Amino acid sequence: MEFKKILFPTKFRELAFNSLESILELKKAGLKEVVLTYIIPRDEVAFVPYGGYMKDEEERLREQARIRFEDWQQSISKHGIKSTIRIEVGNPIPKIMSIAEEEKVDMIVAGRKKRTVLDKVHVGSHTLDLVRRSSVPVLISKYMVRFEWEGHLITRVNDRIFTRPLLATDWSEPSEKALKLVSSFKELADKVMVTHIIGVKISKGLDKSELNRIEKESKERLEEYCDRLKRDGINAEPHLFSGRSANEIARVAREHKASMIVMGTTGKDRLKQFWLGSVSHRVTESSELPVLLVP
Amino acid sequence: MKFGNRILKIFLLSVFCIFLFSAMAMASGHETGTTHDTAAVHEEAAHGAADAGHGGGHGHVNLGETLPLWSCIPFACMLFSIALFPLLAPKFWHHHFGKVSAFWAACLGIPFLIAFKWLAVHEILHIILADYVPFIILLWALFTISGGIMLKGRLRGTPVVNTIMILIGTLLASWMGTTGAAMLMIRPFLKANNYRKNRTFMVVFFIFLVANVGGSLTPLGDPPLFLGFLHGVSFFWTMHIMPHMLVTAGILLVIYFILDSYHYKKEGFTSAPLEEEGEKQPLKLVGLLNFVFLGGVVGSVLMSGIVDWGSVSTFGIHRGLQDWIRDGLLILMGVLSLLTTSKKIHEENEFGWFPIIEVGYLFIGIFITMVPCLLILKAGLNGEFAFLIAAVKKPLHYFWVTGALSGFLDNAPTYLTFFNTALGAFYPGMPEAQAVPLLMTESSIYLKAISAGAVFFGSFSYIGNAPNFMVRSIAEESGTPMPSFFGYILKFSMVYLLPTFLIVTFIFF
Repeated sequence: MEFKKILFPTKFRELAFNSLESILELKKAGLKEVVLTYIIPRDEVAFVPYGGYMKDEEERLREQARIRFEDWQQSISKHGIKSTIRIEVGNPIPKIMSIAEEEKVDMIVAGRKKRTVLDKVHVGSHTLDLVRRSSVPVLISKYMVRFEWEGHLITRVNDRIFTRPLLATDWSEPSEKALKLVSSFKELADKVMVTHIIGVKISKGLDKSELNRIEKESKERLEEYCDRLKRDGINAEPHLFSGRSANEIARVAREHKASMIVMGTTGKDRLKQFWLGSVSHRVTESSELPVLLVP
Repeated sequence: MKFGNRILKIFLLSVFCIFLFSAMAMASGHETGTTHDTAAVHEEAAHGAADAGHGGGHGHVNLGETLPLWSCIPFACMLFSIALFPLLAPKFWHHHFGKVSAFWAACLGIPFLIAFKWLAVHEILHIILADYVPFIILLWALFTISGGIMLKGRLRGTPVVNTIMILIGTLLASWMGTTGAAMLMIRPFLKANNYRKNRTFMVVFFIFLVANVGGSLTPLGDPPLFLGFLHGVSFFWTMHIMPHMLVTAGILLVIYFILDSYHYKKEGFTSAPLEEEGEKQPLKLVGLLNFVFLGGVVGSVLMSGIVDWGSVSTFGIHRGLQDWIRDGLLILMGVLSLLTTSKKIHEENEFGWFPIIEVGYLFIGIFITMVPCLLILKAGLNGEFAFLIAAVKKPLHYFWVTGALSGFLDNAPTYLTFFNTALGAFYPGMPEAQAVPLLMTESSIYLKAISAGAVFFGSFSYIGNAPNFMVRSIAEESGTPMPSFFGYILKFSMVYLLPTFLIVTFIFF
């Protein structure tokens, strides 16, 4: 699995360019092309009450985006990476999905939500919708986040995000894909922390011998994952914990100074997610680290 | 820019203060000049509403006789804002139309409340609960349900195919609303014709027929007719406009076919371009379950017009129980449509809430500001609009005056204005529940003139009817050049609509 071509949709929010720059180091992982994308929300230019369509406004927004992208392209080309520009009008998420399909990209990079005074949730509903529906990996970059930790307000800059990835696995097929994807970070990562959490739902009501069996089996699997990464030339270490999965992943990531979290996502639909919840989405929302979700 | 904003704020504040002081002056006059105490007025208001029976509409003749002509200024300003802002300051309007609507509503509402207290509260609540709420619910339901239906595939836009597509849209409009039919048909229509050079006239005729004339047969078709239904005009009475609609649609379709054939030959098309051949896809209608919900909408509206389950008082406003149940059923149909329609259909239809939200924002302003206007009109020759009622006498007057104003102001409030003018002229002081059946029978030609005028002339300009601008917006976005506001009127409405309406007048009025 490689990242040859990535889609970088942006709303030109603050630090969007820094976020882009932080992922250009993927060149070492095989990145060849970035598709810079700006979707002009249809409501911004169309359906003017009793008016119609503001063609001039669309042209202005297109021009504004083009100029910014051309400036960004200079930096991208300095890294020896090709870039193309796509500026379109429409509903952002469906449009991003269709461009990703047309361009056959290997990954979509999504930004964090608009900054508020104190962010407890780092991604918005649109990004979660994108994550839910994307058939290719989605990286939520979160270049700069502010969060509260033990009563302190901390500002964190996530720039060298591929150096210490934490791979959170639940042994599912998407987790297996995530493992293969992390293998491509060999030129970027110092160490990968392969983590499995024995969730409360699994351990609840089990006797000790059964728990021991699960623990033993999990450790063996973790070792197997680490061995596979080591064979690919990446330093990896196993971590096994039990508890509430989303909270534990966030805690382990902090304790072991992870630079990002990589995990598989099962792509529950909106209704199922509402009732059952999703560990990957909760981690995406609450963690201050960039999260790479692999479907 | 900042200086301009300051000037604008000062101007708006001044306008508001003028209305406020005028109302205070009026309030003192009203208090000394009438015998109503607050409680009595409130009781009378509620009683009057109860008397109104089905449709809930009623008239406080005394108030209509008291109100000055200038109390209609916020209504006029509201309508002129809709007419002029999109032309003069489209960007400002696009982002602030809700504030503009709220401003004019406040200009009328606050002074009106100060001057007439409980009576004003009652009148405003009445128009909101009895007119605005069901009006918006119906529009929302039709918009939501039709947004879940999609015509997939691709046709080749020949003159025959195009004429048939417009004809189908025209026939559908009365049953799924002009907005619903226009939204369903416009994208396949544009797609079928994207290889044609001259597409502008096609979209204009589409607006004439699908977005307007086609909606004249049922109260579901066009908002003005639904307002009539809410005020007691029976569901199937609007079928009386069928001859007028057939003549108008027939003439326009024949003209369209001739024009399309002329351009088709002129553009040199005898067969589809090669690259288009490969893209041909069979036509397929998806989201069919929504037709069931559409049937539910028709049934709900019909039910509320047939049964009488008594009335319910809400904040002192009496409305038929069947009307509340109808509104509930319409919401249910819309919600069921949302739950059962796949997200993919909505996305491919480019379905979004913005168009219906803006209609909601604008119409709350329109309905509140039009309260004095309607009351004065209902007062007939005893009100300040006596000159208008005296001048508008013959059916052709009603057709052309309703039409001329509908063409440049929104046709829904215009319909209600002249509906009340007719009630005031023929049955002054009579409760609406008694007057409307008489208007439908012994004076039916006037109601036909008002209905046909409001619906047909809605196509006269982009601002005549809400779907016009939605169609224009979608056409422009897809790359079809559309005429300017005046270009549309001068090149198309004056040339094709005006002679057609003259023929309709000659035959029917």
